[in-house]
Amino acid sequence: MPNSGHNRDAEASKLGMWLFLFTELLLFGGLFIVYMVYRTLNPESFLIASFELDVAMGTFNTIVLLVSSMTIAMSITAIQLGDAKKSIALLITTMALAMVFLVVKYFEWSAKIHHGLFPGHEVYQNLPPGESLFFFLYFFMTGLHALHIIIGGVIIAVVIYRTNKGLVNQDRFTLTENAGLYWHLVDLIWIYLFPLFYLIH
Amino acid sequence: MIQNAENIKEKEHHHISSYKEHFSTLMALLLLTVITVAISVFGADLRTMSVFTALLIATVKVIVVSYYFMHLKYDKKIYTWLVMIVAILFISFAVLTIIEYLNR
Repeated sequence: MPNSGHNRDAEASKLGMWLFLFTELLLFGGLFIVYMVYRTLNPESFLIASFELDVAMGTFNTIVLLVSSMTIAMSITAIQLGDAKKSIALLITTMALAMVFLVVKYFEWSAKIHHGLFPGHEVYQNLPPGESLFFFLYFFMTGLHALHIIIGGVIIAVVIYRTNKGLVNQDRFTLTENAGLYWHLVDLIWIYLFPLFYLIH
Repeated sequence: MIQNAENIKEKEHHHISSYKEHFSTLMALLLLTVITVAISVFGADLRTMSVFTALLIATVKVIVVSYYFMHLKYDKKIYTWLVMIVAILFISFAVLTIIEYLNR
């Protein structure tokens, strides 16, 4: 029988997930080094440009992601204790918080694009070189991060579906754990993105 | 002997973090967020939020998330070692890049 479950190895699955997370870390790590070098070359421009970002919205989204990290961690506790209903409720909460994050991000991006700060706009083209670099990195890095939020949301939806069908249960919760690890990574990246773009004044 | 017995017990029973522990972790993270935002917003005229301060507080938050939420505290030590190897690799490259720039 294909995939009858006899070859299941929870430890190997988790190790595999961690190895994948390392490639993600190095992907963003490379971008952070680009940011670091350009910031060192254009300290004044980066400072001026960073005041364009909305600290209140950024702080709100940081809190949203931190709370969502807690709810997904709690959903693992719930499934381990055998409470599938509670686990699903917590996963749905996590997904809802992911949506809130994306909606806030949408309004933030819209405001910036409206002001012509998106690469390609006339205002953007006429910015001092350092400032346009800041906005280029801002859109690319938060955009890549938002893509991870969307992927994370899809993964959580799969976990909800499989938990609901009983495929994820008290004895088999590796999927929930791995989804949690991915979601925490998305949170970790935001923990660095937020101060570097919004707070260094 | 006692330690061996405990090890076997841990293998059989996956450690389950309590809801309370997760909640406390969140509180710690929110506190750190408030501190970092406060330094940036209210200390703006003091020019206190340097890249160094921002990275320092962010790193403390990342350690808290990985230690408690990502379960490194209770997992096999190999995971902590792997994370540290990747972190050291990345930090040395970043630091060497800065040193290279400053020696120009």
